[in-house]
Amino acid sequence: MAISKAVYKEFEDVVGAENISDDPAIKAAYRSPDITVVLPGNTEEVAAVIKLCNKHKIPFKAQSTGWLLFAPTYDFIYLDLRRMNCIIEINEKNMYAVVEPYVISAELQGELFKRGMICNVKGSGSTCTALAMSGHGHMGLTTSTGDRNELATEWVTDEGEIIRIGTLGASDEWFCGDGPGPSLRGILRGGGVITKQATKVYHWSGPSMFPLEGASPRYTLSQKPSEMNMMVRYFSFPTIEKLIEAELKIGESEIAFELMGFCPSMVSSNITTSNEEDFATLDKFTKEVQGPGFMVIITGNFDEDFEYKKKVLAQIIKETGGKSLKAAEDPDVEATLLFQCTRVCASIRETFRAGGMFSSMMVQGQRYDNHVKWLEEAAVWKRDLIKKGLVIADDGQQFGWGEEQGHLGHTEIFCRYNPYDEKSSEAVQKWMAKVGKRALDGCFAVPSMGVLPVDVVGKRVSNYHVWFGKLKQAFDPNGVGENTGFSYVGADSSGAHTSIYQKEPEKASPKK
Amino acid sequence: MAIEDYRGDVEMCCRCSACKHIPLQKIKGIEHSDACPSIAKYNFHAYSGSGRLLIAKEMLTNGFKYTDKLLDIVYNCQMCGACDISCKYAMDMEVLLPINEFRIRCVEEGHTHPALDKVIGSLRKQGTTVPGARGKRAAWAQGLGLKDATKEKVAVYYHVGCLASYDKNYQKLAKATAKILKKAGVDFGIGYENESCCGGRAFQMGYKEDFLNQAKKNMDMLKKAGVKTLVTSCADGYQAFKVLYDKYNLKGDLEVLHITEYLARLIKEGKLKLNKKVNMTVTYHDPCHLGRLGEPWIHWEGKRIPGYKFVFDPPKEYRRGTNGVYEPPREVLARIPGLKLAEMDRIKEYAWCCGAGGGVNESNPEFSMWTAMDRIEEAESTGAEAIASACPWCEKNFNETVKASGSDLKVYDIVELVEKAI
Repeated sequence: MAISKAVYKEFEDVVGAENISDDPAIKAAYRSPDITVVLPGNTEEVAAVIKLCNKHKIPFKAQSTGWLLFAPTYDFIYLDLRRMNCIIEINEKNMYAVVEPYVISAELQGELFKRGMICNVKGSGSTCTALAMSGHGHMGLTTSTGDRNELATEWVTDEGEIIRIGTLGASDEWFCGDGPGPSLRGILRGGGVITKQATKVYHWSGPSMFPLEGASPRYTLSQKPSEMNMMVRYFSFPTIEKLIEAELKIGESEIAFELMGFCPSMVSSNITTSNEEDFATLDKFTKEVQGPGFMVIITGNFDEDFEYKKKVLAQIIKETGGKSLKAAEDPDVEATLLFQCTRVCASIRETFRAGGMFSSMMVQGQRYDNHVKWLEEAAVWKRDLIKKGLVIADDGQQFGWGEEQGHLGHTEIFCRYNPYDEKSSEAVQKWMAKVGKRALDGCFAVPSMGVLPVDVVGKRVSNYHVWFGKLKQAFDPNGVGENTGFSYVGADSSGAHTSIYQKEPEKASPKK
Repeated sequence: MAIEDYRGDVEMCCRCSACKHIPLQKIKGIEHSDACPSIAKYNFHAYSGSGRLLIAKEMLTNGFKYTDKLLDIVYNCQMCGACDISCKYAMDMEVLLPINEFRIRCVEEGHTHPALDKVIGSLRKQGTTVPGARGKRAAWAQGLGLKDATKEKVAVYYHVGCLASYDKNYQKLAKATAKILKKAGVDFGIGYENESCCGGRAFQMGYKEDFLNQAKKNMDMLKKAGVKTLVTSCADGYQAFKVLYDKYNLKGDLEVLHITEYLARLIKEGKLKLNKKVNMTVTYHDPCHLGRLGEPWIHWEGKRIPGYKFVFDPPKEYRRGTNGVYEPPREVLARIPGLKLAEMDRIKEYAWCCGAGGGVNESNPEFSMWTAMDRIEEAESTGAEAIASACPWCEKNFNETVKASGSDLKVYDIVELVEKAI
């Protein structure tokens, strides 16, 4: 159902005729048959569009680059934020950058590299928004998670009110997300549209641009990592306990730039350029590793610093019985892992390439006492699917890493599969539900958004969904905003909120 | 192959938006990170590589529904292949091929663009994609005493191409090429009035049958003349003869060389000496059809192995832009005394398109020049005083854009710079 011509005209008056469309071809590209797409160019246009949505009780959804093909089934206004793609400021002195939603991490990181700085990049990859929103990634050890990097934020609420959060609420400064000024960071995932945000940036001791040689997809480095005071290694451990001990020690000693709890399959995905090569490489790696593992990147600020960090790492690995994957010590492989995992450019290889889709169970928080145990069970069930030939035959492992030097942690497991193969899809959905239920029943974790019905999860977690519903009602009385925020875990891969909710919002009146 | 044959590929699109940007490893900042002119200009996802695949997916499922907007999306694409390269950095799937087949389907079902119909009308009538072409194809060669390769055996057949044959502003490229080959002592000839359009631009525009007609016609003529080696100074022609003819099993064992490849060879063999100084800093623009789209065709036939992973029997080797012609033009420029090369941010397999391809030059000149302007500004940012390309269509579009914008940047084809150096 399309909106009426008169209502369409109201939206058109806001963004201009060239920035609105409900043509079937345009809609097909957004995988949503009943939408009208608008391309706002600034905060004021976003606010005006949302106010119109409230006026006409039309639900809306905003998205930046996107990452997955989520296609809500209800009619709505789709705000494609593509035109909002400016880096507003890079403040070197106060270590933050202010971006609009369509700035991707690769762009911000490229600018920061030139200044000896780096930002957090979500695990979904550097093609996603640079906004500091929920998302956990490769550099979590030293740059934490997306939402822990949020500073001052410009936010358009579900009613179309522009709110400036943190220092921005009291001044023109972006350096703090909590004040002086309103602090609403805790409910940002509840809806609305973030139109500008400051994100923390960090020290980077690496080059201003990796010296790449060759042509896509086989880039190599003209320098060995060691010549840049950088080193990449993959270690496997005899037991998960030993791996965790090593992770914690590395965090305590603060010697690593990056610790990514890759399975061997993720290493092979990163360094290979086709599925066939990937599977063959994984086969070799699987034979060599002794158990669960992680990849670690050491960066030195100067020669002595580099040597010191390497020695500490060697000592930790010795104490914990770690074994280095020989293939990753090859300077070419090491170099590839270095630039792939620092620039986070191969997430698509890790996830979508093999089968076209992946479904993930992930959690942030107490990695070491609860989550690993829970997802180790999930791995056992996953291996059953592998045996039946329903999902990609990788190593079947959970993976994860310590964030903020191990004070927090991210743990995850996913199944890669062909979404057009009904048996595979069904098996993965059942696996997700089973793992989610086990999380609740075993008091291990709160499962990811969309795995179980919100009320089922909410009842086990202080009825938070009821409280959240009240917040939602206060900020979105017309029920036009998106149904996100029902879970405080779960990845928001695209940066701009992506709902996997397929149902019509309860409060939204069907528009005529 | 038809669009239906790429269903598996279009279904693989995960909408990651990699197709909108140059390979992420190569992004240096907020400037020059765009790969696709179409999405950069029109912003709706439908104009990106991913959007085009998702439209194809929808229409393969629910039938083709032609609207003006759909045709606007289809024809506002230079078919430059940048999306294909960026996607295949990470994925095993075809992007440009289904986009191309979608356009072919549009043409087959009569949903053409009037400006492109005019071009094809010219092709059918006069054997050239330069509408309004007048006079003889080889009028530029009058008085040069060049051999007629259709009448006498030559070592090298020089395929001049439509623009350098008919457009008075670009006949200088044909003359320069002939002069250089003479200087190097190459035994070469041209086809005079037997030369016909390569058909490459017709293919880009979606007119597959017209392309095939041209290809067959050309190969008949070349076989009859006993041509073993063909050299062309047009990137579109190069890609047509080398890649497209091979794709349709028409190329046989014809050796196809771009003039830059051939000049690099002649220089290396000591047959061509560049002695005169050309004191100039230039930046080099990789033409799409010489660079990423110029890599050899890979013949493959197989089937997807049923099940949960996207693999084929036999394994499929993808064309990812790795083996395009990138070094020979740079080698030639490096051998010109006094000339300095200043590289742009987007080069080789991830070069920004000049804007002229896919019929956009004819169907939407404003978009074509908008795209060129982006490149001109990128070239200017290097500090170079000139941009050099290796395709007359690129040069034409750059020249027109420079003129319209008032830029001081000079525009050359590499053969013009070589001509200055001999």
